[in-house]
Amino acid sequence: MAGNEDDQARFRRVVLPHLSDAYALARWIVGNATDAEDVVQDACLRAFRGINGFAGGNARAWLLTITRHAAFTWLGKNRPAAMVGVDDLEEVERKELDRGLPMEGRETPEAALIAKADANRLEVAIAQLPVPFREALVLRDVQGLEYREIAEVIKAPIGTVMSRLARARNRLIAGIAAQEGVGKT
Amino acid sequence: MSDPMQNDPRLLVHAYVDGELDPAHALELERQLARDPALAAERERIDALRQVIKERLPPLPVPLALARRIDAAVGSSRTSARAFSASPSWRALAASVIVAAGLASSATWFEMRPAPAEATADMVVASHLRALMAPQPIDVVSSDRHTVKPWFNGRVTEAPRVVDLSQEGFPLVGGRVDVIGRTPVPTLVYRRRQHLISLMALPSGQSRIGMPSERTISGYHIVTWTEGGVTYWAVSDVAVSDLQAFAKAFREAPA
Repeated sequence: MAGNEDDQARFRRVVLPHLSDAYALARWIVGNATDAEDVVQDACLRAFRGINGFAGGNARAWLLTITRHAAFTWLGKNRPAAMVGVDDLEEVERKELDRGLPMEGRETPEAALIAKADANRLEVAIAQLPVPFREALVLRDVQGLEYREIAEVIKAPIGTVMSRLARARNRLIAGIAAQEGVGKT
Repeated sequence: MSDPMQNDPRLLVHAYVDGELDPAHALELERQLARDPALAAERERIDALRQVIKERLPPLPVPLALARRIDAAVGSSRTSARAFSASPSWRALAASVIVAAGLASSATWFEMRPAPAEATADMVVASHLRALMAPQPIDVVSSDRHTVKPWFNGRVTEAPRVVDLSQEGFPLVGGRVDVIGRTPVPTLVYRRRQHLISLMALPSGQSRIGMPSERTISGYHIVTWTEGGVTYWAVSDVAVSDLQAFAKAFREAPA
């Protein structure tokens, strides 16, 4: 008779329904499908070993937290340059401002123009976002998490989630404007 | 939010379109939107961006090869080696047979608490996914309902209603036994073009008819309804309209 659910059954119930979310996040963080598969496999093994530590809250946020950690481990090993800290990021933005480079939110295309952006351009523009902005945007606008879930996954306050998301979107909007050659003369 | 930056309407407008502002802040922001055209334009741009991302970049399904690799990796990292064959579908089947044997010997067993709908939905999706990642997603492969229905005899307490929906564009592919909670349940597998639809029949313990309702878990759509003491769960990655059409066709088909 089935007694306590064994680890494998628990893994199936808790982790498998959220596998596609884990895969999507990994893909957006590491940037390609093949490496994302390795990251998700690594994350799933970690999740399996830690399945008894899952207290029964939000399974999706739990798996995404583990996946994000696995993805960052992968980035640290394979793409150290992509591991921009948020402090560095603010520094970069200050310099861009000083040099008068195009900054987020400067260009204001019509909403109708944004609505016409095609999938490839969007993908490229998102891929070019620094990781802290990219992950906030992907978790919200691609994967549909609520702010408090994103806060749980990225271990940051909700206010930080909001400001990173805003900056990610502003950069994307400016990027779309630049691609379409509007807003700048 | 003590950071003055975070009272900036250009920031708050994002939380507003995401439905994340509390009512007081939302009202205040609506007032600002009404009197500030630049802010209103910003809101339209954000809406347009959210919409275009949603439309052009839908969530990707997990590659089956990856799902299989994970299944193999998790299976092989078990500390207690069991004498199951390497095939996950055989493991699942063996487990369900063991539970079924236990079931037959205790009549009261069936009066289990119904699992909460959310947990059931998760298990339904997990079973569907797991079947997809198995080398063979079905235990009995047949498009003939007169082959599929008797196959369930002795495997589950009650063989499910099996109908032919090939005319409606949903040919029968076969069947398998899934374990939802602790109950082995019959699952019929239908096909829509290249996509499989799993239809699980769970005992509901109630005779009233429940109208179809739907939800989505990580890109997999679920339509569920209750009829004749059975709660049906249809799960698939087909478009939700196709799954609704499937549910309708199944419900309307003569037994």
